[in-house]
Amino acid sequence: MTGHLDVQRVSKSFRVDGAVVEALSDISLSVQPGEFVSIVGPSGCGKSTLLRLLAGLERGFDGDILQDGKPIVGTSLDRGIVFQEPRLFPWATVRQNIGIGLQNAPINTRQKEETIAAHIALVGLQGFERAYPHQLSGGMAQRAAIARGLVNRPQILLLDEPFGALDALTRGKMQIELQQIWSHEKITMVLVTHDVDEAVFLGDRVIVLAPRPGRISRIFEVAAKRPRSRTDDDLIHIRNEVLLALEGQDRAPQPVGRPDRPLIAKPAA
Amino acid sequence: MTLNSAGSETTPRLAFFRGLVLPVVFLMLWELSSHSGLFNPQFLPPLEKVGATAWRELTNGELLSDLMVSLRRDLTGFAIGTGLGVAVGLLLGLSRIADRIFTRWFNGLKQIALLAWIPLISIWFGFDESAKVVFVALAAAIPVILNIVEGIRLTSRKIIEVGEVFRFNRRQLIFLIYLPSAMPSILTGIHLALIYSWLATIGAEYFMAAGPGIGGLVIAGRERFEMDLVLLGIVVLGAVGFTIDRLATWLEYRVIPWRRL
Amino acid sequence: MSSELAISRSIEQSDLAAPNTGAQLLRRTWRAVVPILWGLVLPAVVLPVWFSGAYWGWLPEQILPTPAEVWGTLLEMLRSGELKMHTGISLLRVICGFAAGTVVGVALGAAMGLSSRIDDYVRPFFTAIAQVPALAWIPLAMLLLGIGEALKIVVIAKAAFVPVVMNTSAGIRNVPKEFVEVGDTFQFSAWQKLRLVVLPGSIPSIFTGLRYGLTHAWIALVSVELVASSEGLGYLLVWGRQMFWLDTVLVSMIVIGLVGFVTDKVLAVVEQHLQRWRIDDA
Repeated sequence: MTGHLDVQRVSKSFRVDGAVVEALSDISLSVQPGEFVSIVGPSGCGKSTLLRLLAGLERGFDGDILQDGKPIVGTSLDRGIVFQEPRLFPWATVRQNIGIGLQNAPINTRQKEETIAAHIALVGLQGFERAYPHQLSGGMAQRAAIARGLVNRPQILLLDEPFGALDALTRGKMQIELQQIWSHEKITMVLVTHDVDEAVFLGDRVIVLAPRPGRISRIFEVAAKRPRSRTDDDLIHIRNEVLLALEGQDRAPQPVGRPDRPLIAKPAA
Repeated sequence: MTLNSAGSETTPRLAFFRGLVLPVVFLMLWELSSHSGLFNPQFLPPLEKVGATAWRELTNGELLSDLMVSLRRDLTGFAIGTGLGVAVGLLLGLSRIADRIFTRWFNGLKQIALLAWIPLISIWFGFDESAKVVFVALAAAIPVILNIVEGIRLTSRKIIEVGEVFRFNRRQLIFLIYLPSAMPSILTGIHLALIYSWLATIGAEYFMAAGPGIGGLVIAGRERFEMDLVLLGIVVLGAVGFTIDRLATWLEYRVIPWRRL
Repeated sequence: MSSELAISRSIEQSDLAAPNTGAQLLRRTWRAVVPILWGLVLPAVVLPVWFSGAYWGWLPEQILPTPAEVWGTLLEMLRSGELKMHTGISLLRVICGFAAGTVVGVALGAAMGLSSRIDDYVRPFFTAIAQVPALAWIPLAMLLLGIGEALKIVVIAKAAFVPVVMNTSAGIRNVPKEFVEVGDTFQFSAWQKLRLVVLPGSIPSIFTGLRYGLTHAWIALVSVELVASSEGLGYLLVWGRQMFWLDTVLVSMIVIGLVGFVTDKVLAVVEQHLQRWRIDDA
């Protein structure tokens, strides 16, 4: 089965205002075909950079990234990506936007029509084929973006904080839908998020990144069976662990008072 | 009132009538002064006289033929200028090399006030029709070029990345991303070109030997000290300009059903 | 192909290895010089063609003077102080007309922006007047004012007036109500609101209006001087044209362009200074 990602000792630095910033340091990761991997971390931990490297949008890194044994060079129709903003073309309808993904696909027109229709159905946007992006809600636009990301039937789908711009209720719904899509399509998915609940709810594994420089600090296995419920004890337990791991990365937060003077007045005794 | 963040209670109807006050007062003052004998009737003809002149010119076909001549010049120059402008604009916007070679010089040339080109054009092309059309074309081309280049430059980096993700080649990038994205700017450029080419038509008629045309009408009026002709010409001028502008706005709205970025 | 698109922020890893060495300095100088080199391509092609064209007489001398002649005329005019005088007169006219038009324009625009009532009264009449280009007013103004300085200043002022009023009123009206409400919560008086919220908030628009006004003022200046003047840059254009001195015409055009550019830049700098809070690339 295809869709295996192999990240080997990858490091990446940027020059910001003359200084060199190490965004990622010695990251090694292996993603199995059909696996759902969530990557969490605080801002500045390089998770988006890692995803962009996997997509092929950034070059110039040390180390190797292999897809099914072949090093990746630039972007590919075999790796779909969903960005944080829907990034739909404002001048195109929903159907045309999804069709954009098939511009360079080696299939004929009829097949294109069929697969576009199938993907519109997959994300539940039937009836909105002819709508323009400005007429869609945030959630609907993102669904269209997901459809576009999947329309080439890539082996791997990369998602960069796809639900970050949505309100909490919509986000919850979208997560359930994404889980359903994943179960249905059975492709490898790599999700980057700052939302721990989302990471745990969706992933087979949760990779925790620490910042400055970006590196893997812990990996959690989430064995819970799908379809998952947010209230599962297992999930809550793992989620707490992840949160602790994240907190542990900061230095222990100082109380607002001074060390020698506790915040809560002791009873005069 | 801006300083008062609460809303106002003016109805659109009230606003409409208020708007009429000034023009009406102005016209009344005019009428009274022209009949009062205080002013030279040549400089301040009574409104009836202006109306009569207008009627005369309208019915003897002079006004209409002048208008037709002017409009024809305008449209010819506009078409040529816009066509060239689109070509040049696309070249400058899409080709890095062309941009590096030409843009600086173009920005320099556009600093020169448009009308300052007239003497040069009249030396090179004379005073006849072709010279006028060349000038109008120049006036139309400049805003088109500027806006197309700007529109292409403003294409969202994020959308370009989407093209990258889907392995767009250069042609696909241009036709599927850069051009549609620049469409609002292109239309703005064409809108401005419409406005400027009308202004340039009048300018050409003023400065390149009078002949038939609305501009010619105004010049003739001035030379003969016939204020009513001048006024007539000015009113027609303004009205045509206004109509063109409205038309352009309407067209812009029709071509872009999706809201602007 | 992708390299053309991706303006990647990231640098080659090897680049990062080298600290601020001579190699880096060289690279940076090279990068600054390159645009200049590109800019020289066009003259490098045009000048030889121009030279040979003039030398071999492909076109009569009146239509195509040699570059040497143009250069010579430029120097001559500079030396004789002729250029300075004409430029000075034109500049003075523009400044006076622009100032007059701007002061009245900002005042009216502010009134229209602040009071929707005044706007109701004034706007239709103003729009009608605005529809008629400054150019068209010239014959009218000539009948009324003759061909003296007053004519020029008035025409220039009118040209600047229109965009200033439009942008000022729009700018003031578009100051977000939300900010004015904040002023309300702090019991701002009308004057305070004006000074601390509305005016700073509308400066960008006002300046846009000023810059358009300046452009139009220059165009009006040239038109008026083309028609009715015995000194100034526009006059030089007419004079050169009548005498078929293309070199004079070209020199005047270049000066008009330069002065227009400089005056616009000056405004831009003032605008920049007053708007240090803005983040966009105005």
